[in-house]
Amino acid sequence: MFRGLLLAFACLISQGLFAQTQADEPVALVETITGHIFAEVSENLEEYKAEPGKLEALVRDELLPLLDIKYSARLILGRAGRGLAPEKVDEFATVMSNLLVSRYSSGLLEFSSKVDIRVLPQRGELNEKITRVRTRVTIADGGEAPVDYAFRKTPDGWKAFDVIIEGISYITTYRNQIMPEVQATGIDSVIERIGSGQLEIAE
Amino acid sequence: MSTRLYFICVICAGLLLTGCAGTQSRNTDPENDPWEGYNRKVYAFNEGMDKVVRPVAVGYDRIMPDPLQTGVGNFFRNLDAPITFINQVLQGKLKQGGTTAGRFLLNSTLGLLGFIDVASKMGLPYYNEDLGQTLAVWGYEDSRYMMLPFLGPSTFRDGPARIIDNYYSPVGSVIGGNVRWGLFLVRGVDTRARFLDQDAELEQAYDPYVLMRDVWLQNRQYQIYDGDPPLQDYDLYLEDFDEEPEPGTGNTP
Repeated sequence: MFRGLLLAFACLISQGLFAQTQADEPVALVETITGHIFAEVSENLEEYKAEPGKLEALVRDELLPLLDIKYSARLILGRAGRGLAPEKVDEFATVMSNLLVSRYSSGLLEFSSKVDIRVLPQRGELNEKITRVRTRVTIADGGEAPVDYAFRKTPDGWKAFDVIIEGISYITTYRNQIMPEVQATGIDSVIERIGSGQLEIAE
Repeated sequence: MSTRLYFICVICAGLLLTGCAGTQSRNTDPENDPWEGYNRKVYAFNEGMDKVVRPVAVGYDRIMPDPLQTGVGNFFRNLDAPITFINQVLQGKLKQGGTTAGRFLLNSTLGLLGFIDVASKMGLPYYNEDLGQTLAVWGYEDSRYMMLPFLGPSTFRDGPARIIDNYYSPVGSVIGGNVRWGLFLVRGVDTRARFLDQDAELEQAYDPYVLMRDVWLQNRQYQIYDGDPPLQDYDLYLEDFDEEPEPGTGNTP
């Protein structure tokens, strides 16, 4: 009897642990977080349209913990970031993530009706340092837009650092815009312009 | 457009452009875009043309109800189905080729000359292939970026390939004379109208030329790999950040 209980307990624990490792994997992370954001937007679309700031707050709370914004910032700065003070890179990472949150939010509001997302299963093994999560966002006319997230393994678990829409990478595209501008006008000027919304580099 | 006429236009544009040669010495992407100086001139030329084309596209966008515009898009997409089919066969994608042939038959008949995409509603997916993609699949993977007068972004591989594709397409071979020209013009306006939403974003970019190039090249890669291109080499970006990069080698044919 006692042995049986112990065994049952052991099973429960191992199952619990198993579930935990699963939930930490990129596909599950994307499913949970985007699933939540999309459901929230679909239900309260009118409310968020009236108050876009509220949606930005939601996206920021949900999405930012998933992102490795400092890594993204380093990739975008590339050669132009060489020799910069770490605080400057952090500052740049913050304005870039604000820009991303604001674009992501306004993108969500452009959907006129219900939005939906389908996360495709993980392909290949997760033993690499970098992996990709593929999703399909259902758009108004019934078509699907492919949105992929690039993830990397960090000491704090898997973090996303790039968004790729129809093959167009956020990192690559912003990088080629921002790198020469930082080289020409300096990091402070670029941080200020992105922060003040004077600049919205697009995809 | 008839090929001979197009070449005459290209040559004329080339002459115009050498006239206004603002020397652009910097090269933002020596590997993919070694002809940046020339390309920027063609880009400027196209921007000039756009001052005429854009207002027409805006007007078209305003008077056309959305469902009708979707219909026009479907119609042109259907006309390209034979190009897709032939290139699917050339790439050995026979099953997808069968789907494309089926789509073409269904949409051309039940779909009223392609205006209604009945095939998609019946679950036959749309594919898009062309000779440029076939050449890439055959091994001609990297090709230098080339801005074409009137037609916009392309590559050294895709530009000529596009002309060959248009030879055997229904528009190029079956439909003749004024109808062909009419279709060409309507398609141009319709295509332009679809990009109106992106105008503001392009204008706001630090470097609109580079933005258009990067978006186009990445999306092209996405088409070549049928929606599943390999990830960027991010480590390379990081090496840039950490240390001195190697000088760019611009030897892509």
